[in-house]
Amino acid sequence: MTGWTVEGLATAIREGKVSPVEATQECLGRIGRLDGKLRAFITVDEVGALATARRLEAEQRRGAWRGPLHGVPLAFKDLCFIRGLPTSCGTRTSEYFIAEQDCTAVARLAAAGAVTLGKLNMTELAMGPFGDNAHHGHAQNPWRPGHCSGGSSSGSGVAVAAGLALGALGSDTGGSIRLPAAACGIVGLKPTYGLVSRAGVMPLSWSNDHVGPMARTVRDCALLLQVVAGRDPLDATSSPHPVPEYRAALSGVIRGLRVGVPENYFFQGVHPEVEAAVREAAEVIAGLSAQVSEIRLPDPQTMSDVCNIVSRSEGSTIHARLLRERPHEVQPVVRARLELGLQIPAYDYLQALRLRARLARAFITEVFAQVDVLVAPVIPEPAPPLAHATEGPVHELVVRQGRFSRLTRPFNGLGLPALSVPCGFSSAGLPLAFQVVGRPFDEATVLRVGEAYQRATDWHTRRPPLD
Amino acid sequence: MEESRAQQAEVAALLGVIERMAADLALAEEPSRFIAALEAGRAAAEGAAPSA
Repeated sequence: MTGWTVEGLATAIREGKVSPVEATQECLGRIGRLDGKLRAFITVDEVGALATARRLEAEQRRGAWRGPLHGVPLAFKDLCFIRGLPTSCGTRTSEYFIAEQDCTAVARLAAAGAVTLGKLNMTELAMGPFGDNAHHGHAQNPWRPGHCSGGSSSGSGVAVAAGLALGALGSDTGGSIRLPAAACGIVGLKPTYGLVSRAGVMPLSWSNDHVGPMARTVRDCALLLQVVAGRDPLDATSSPHPVPEYRAALSGVIRGLRVGVPENYFFQGVHPEVEAAVREAAEVIAGLSAQVSEIRLPDPQTMSDVCNIVSRSEGSTIHARLLRERPHEVQPVVRARLELGLQIPAYDYLQALRLRARLARAFITEVFAQVDVLVAPVIPEPAPPLAHATEGPVHELVVRQGRFSRLTRPFNGLGLPALSVPCGFSSAGLPLAFQVVGRPFDEATVLRVGEAYQRATDWHTRRPPLD
Repeated sequence: MEESRAQQAEVAALLGVIERMAADLALAEEPSRFIAALEAGRAAAEGAAPSA
């Protein structure tokens, strides 16, 4: 059962081949066997998950059907508020506070029938791309324990890749969905800014935070996105427009689609195995009759720097009280990043926000006049050893973190949809990935490209050697 | 001391982009125009990409 997709399990449950309780027990059993080493979870809600599964099973017997996720076990990054469960946001105390309401995204998934298994490990305060966490244990890459899982949605990547949960939610401020998806060999979608409500999700940067799905297949991500996307009066930034039918767009047909492979920035300093795998993926896409060509982009480093100024300023503001009252509880590298944010003058923060508007307008107009989507690397190297993420002076760690997220951060600043898709393995057996980036709110096309690629390849069917 | 110097250098490097790029921002350029850029991109997307 753990090899199943969200879509496959939902169908099996609906057809009566598997019950919600069986599916939930299977996941809980697997968590019990494997998570002591993998460290994907901060809180496992065994009692709550089984109670929900039993309720769903009883409803099913009565012919009641909640929605497309009826009985499917999911898990959520530990910055999503879930009623009755502690939210640590990856900090030292596991009982940071107990939420009284579900965040909107989790509430929508539950309303569609999902079972909540628990809350997933993450980099402290969602600050860091490697998945290390001194308080809750470093999330381990299921393909090669001892290597980074990617972060900050580390537990989300690990849990899905290891079959502990069928799907997950992550959040992405500079790459935090796409980096663990890439490092763990699963699919992760950072939607367009404003498409998915962030109400009830602990913020790191109001201007750059995105909530999105993580799963084994593009089809599963489309299904999860369908449930969570759309207007939410509780999130002032959420878009008022109707949500299209994403799965209807997954035709496998990308003939004539214009696909741009960046000739600047995205392949500079990238590990040769990453570059080879991404270029090979672009060839597969070209083989599906898409028009693949090289494109020169407006300098992504500029947008990355602007995004960084905004994220640092807002993150330090959000966590100023923690920094003031309990600085000793925060890991040194996270503390250093927060302290840096306090040194950014209001003038620079506001200029960065103004500059972002101009850069986004220019990028969208210029780039999407030439192509429909971009294809680029996600991680600049295969997931490095955890020691790489945690050793050395703080200022070196900060630089290293910046380098690892340099290929994802520009699209947070731009607010564009970006989908990480697995596309092979390094010689050391670690997953490699590319991202598909599209026009604002054009998730349908982004997902269509990723799904067409998965129809033509089998990387997403591989499983880490855990059993 | 070394950490402090490194942090000052990082702040200076980070803010360099504002010095280089923000001097000629139009008076009308304000943060909310980012959302307007996304909305304009949405409008352009409708019918732009070959559909399935």
